[in-house]
Amino acid sequence: MTPMNGPATSLTGQTGAAPRRTLLTLLATQIELRMSLVVVAVMAVLSLISPYFLTFNNMLNLLSQSVVVGLLALGQTLVILIGGIDLSVGSLVGVTGIVLGLSLHHVPMPVAFLFCLAAGAAAGLVNGLIITYGRVAAFVVTLGMMSVGRSLAYVLSGANSISGLPAGLGALSADSLFDIPVDFLVLIACYALCWWFLNHTKGGRTLYALGSNAEAARVAGLRIGTWSVLAYVISGLMSGVAAIFMASRILSIDPIGGQGLELDAIAAVVIGGASLFGGRGSIVGTLFGVFVMLFIRNGLNLLNVSPYWQGTAIGSVIIIAVLAERLLSGARRRG
Amino acid sequence: MALLELHDIWKRFGVTQALSGAAFDLRAGEIHALVGANGAGKSTLSRIISGHIRPDSGEILLNGARLRHAGARDAIRAGITMVTQETSLAPDLSVLENIMLPRIAMPGRLDWRALRAQARALIGEIGQSDVLRPDMKVSELSIGQRQLVEILKALALDSRIIIFDEPTAALSPHEAEQLFGLMRSLATRGHGLIFVSHRLEEIFAVTDRVTVLREGRIVASGLATETMQQGELVRLMVGRELQDIYDRGGRSRRRTDGAVVLRVSHLSCPPMVRDVSFEVRAGEVLGLAGLVGAGRSETIETIFGLRQPVSGTIELDGKPFRARSPRDAIRAGIGLVPEDRRGQAIVPDFSVRENLLLAHLGARSAMTLGYGTRGAAVRALLERLDLPERRLLDANMLNFSGGMQQKVILARGLVLAPRLLLLDEPTRGVDIGTRSSIYAMLRRIADEGVACVVVSSDFEEVIGVSDRIAVLSDGVSVAELPAELIDIEKLGMFAAPRSSAEKTHTMLGQLVARYGGTAYWMAAEGGRLFCFDRVGDDPSADPGFVTGGFPEIAATSIAHAVGAPRGALHRAPDGSRPTLLVPISGKRGHSLGIVGLTFGREPADFDAPAVTQQILAALGERRDAQNETRIEA
Repeated sequence: MTPMNGPATSLTGQTGAAPRRTLLTLLATQIELRMSLVVVAVMAVLSLISPYFLTFNNMLNLLSQSVVVGLLALGQTLVILIGGIDLSVGSLVGVTGIVLGLSLHHVPMPVAFLFCLAAGAAAGLVNGLIITYGRVAAFVVTLGMMSVGRSLAYVLSGANSISGLPAGLGALSADSLFDIPVDFLVLIACYALCWWFLNHTKGGRTLYALGSNAEAARVAGLRIGTWSVLAYVISGLMSGVAAIFMASRILSIDPIGGQGLELDAIAAVVIGGASLFGGRGSIVGTLFGVFVMLFIRNGLNLLNVSPYWQGTAIGSVIIIAVLAERLLSGARRRG
Repeated sequence: MALLELHDIWKRFGVTQALSGAAFDLRAGEIHALVGANGAGKSTLSRIISGHIRPDSGEILLNGARLRHAGARDAIRAGITMVTQETSLAPDLSVLENIMLPRIAMPGRLDWRALRAQARALIGEIGQSDVLRPDMKVSELSIGQRQLVEILKALALDSRIIIFDEPTAALSPHEAEQLFGLMRSLATRGHGLIFVSHRLEEIFAVTDRVTVLREGRIVASGLATETMQQGELVRLMVGRELQDIYDRGGRSRRRTDGAVVLRVSHLSCPPMVRDVSFEVRAGEVLGLAGLVGAGRSETIETIFGLRQPVSGTIELDGKPFRARSPRDAIRAGIGLVPEDRRGQAIVPDFSVRENLLLAHLGARSAMTLGYGTRGAAVRALLERLDLPERRLLDANMLNFSGGMQQKVILARGLVLAPRLLLLDEPTRGVDIGTRSSIYAMLRRIADEGVACVVVSSDFEEVIGVSDRIAVLSDGVSVAELPAELIDIEKLGMFAAPRSSAEKTHTMLGQLVARYGGTAYWMAAEGGRLFCFDRVGDDPSADPGFVTGGFPEIAATSIAHAVGAPRGALHRAPDGSRPTLLVPISGKRGHSLGIVGLTFGREPADFDAPAVTQQILAALGERRDAQNETRIEA
């Protein structure tokens, strides 16, 4: 510890500001560490009370289940980091899925994918532009987009589900590499890319700075408008990606697809330690959040708890997680 | 018995010990100054008295009884009100509604007729019936008038104790005079007034006793103001001689040999910036002085690309420059230390390192962070700013005191080695020790050839730290002159908002309309003449200076009149330019400058004593014009 020199600084009461690297401060500052401990604890408890929990098949099943919510939670993390929220992702899964299904009947699969992703990104762009430059609250704009998306899904599909999808589509979630499902590998790749983006690129740091203090970021010359829009574009794009993997799993596309997933995605981000006020959160935390939620649901299923109770359980976890986060970060901020 | 007593008050904010065992007492009928440098704890102490914050420990006695207020509302009920510079008025409500707001908030029916009558009576009591009407909307009032409404609000609540927290920060000298008069009359009627300020001349002008705070401790308690010397008070506040703070290490003030880095001409960005021109050279510190609301911050924000100018030009290194965003400005080699540290500078969730490198990130065009490329620069800077590197870089910004944070923000501006550094209130909320090291840093930066622009509402600071000063008033640059030629009083007259100097300006206009020639408002001191305003452009009556000018008296065309007895016209030796000078002084006898009239040919019906009386009457002075004093030149 460097001693303080000179009267200039010793007069200002700089006592106790030096960070002591105790376990507690590590836990208080590292969301990832905290979340991994929570995940391990949840897994330990569940494997103790249910012998089926830690089996290979159950784990494999969980990995596959994590893909769609995981993809949406990734986009949601970026949006929540800048202090926004995207309520439209569930509906966008629905409408981009329909775009995918309709295109698959006319164009080759890669082109159909492109249409699907473009539809998602375009919806995200509309969200982002209106929120950023129209200065309308994110909650309102994405709530509107949620309604528009679902409605378009019904309009485009004539309220019918689309089946007869090409067999090649199913391979995306059926294949596996070294026993790990390909779709899960894609999810991990997306998270790894996102982690690099958030921690090692200018854009990523801009998102954090924007959420923490937008005015300071602007004065420092960061492109806050561009990156605010891009966060929503990525969130919309991830809805398209999620729609593709959802279709490949069930080989049928329903206009009601993705309903309610926005809440799961937001819950995962929040459980993962992000602040809804922006500026704080981590992509790894979000991934852990996705799994904590899945594990608890899975555990309740294995224990034959009525599905009606699941909402209570998940809801309580969300509230407790946010409360704990608040208390911990409060302790940190007080120094 | 004391009206209010505070004993052994302690208060801590995070890691900053704001008050350490502070004590204070207030008697009925006195004006008690609470003084100290920025960050000394005077605001904390006054906010504890007003109930806005609660002390960690300590005792407050009101009329000898222990007072426990849970908040500002309880304090108001106990008869304690604070009048702040940022007023707490509701702008869309009328004066009446604002004055009676606490009453309106109470349960029960309102008798508007009685309220109105009471408001009228209160306005009459403070002698403002002719300018303040109960039905005026607060948003239409000047800042000075708003403060009057705040005071009325306190009086309507029957407050025995009124705290004035830096009330003159946005007032012209005339308005301040008026406020002081009102404060005196309130004290005479038995109110206890606490006056928080760091302007020495005001403390000597209006207060009875002084309590001095330094670094959260009381260093002088309740001394009688009249027994004190200015230098003594400064020593108490600062703990050393004031010159030491602005110590320039043998460097002379004037250093104008560098190339012009920034030239601003007729810049306009309504509503705050209307017509601003000045230039800064390499290696020079230019102070941008003016009252709060004069458009100083907005001017440098426009240069930095945070606002877009409507007209006018900005030249950087002789080439036209226009920043569409802060990014453009940073890339062009401009650094900004913004006014509002919490709001515009600090990213609270970032470590000190990332905060330090934020502008680097803004200027960078590559996709990656490139923090490593600035490693050496960061280390060198931290050393220069006396910041401990190891302890600092990974820590959270909010763990540090205001002074430390400000150093980091200053370092942020310097990481990119700017050619032009804009600093907006660089020492706000900074302790005195850090303040002097920021000044020292500023001078070193300037010595290295950087052009610096410092905005400050602390006149003393502006004069102490700058080589030259540009004065803004109501969005217009009114003068640009060397810092050593000006003092706080003249700066105050230059900076007076046009709206409040209107009375003087109108009168000058009337004089010219009636008698012809030219009329002006100026001050003469140290062989120089400072012109604050001038009306009339008759070349044969040209006094030899224009608004904002500061020529040597000998070089003007009215040298013959300066130093001659007043109350009469004086002609130059060749018989030209008959001139009448009328010194104006404030109620406590200090100079408010000189109003002058110069003619090409003397008007036929000119009666000098009568015009002198007319001028004095128009400016609200009742002093006897026969009381001959010579204008000292």
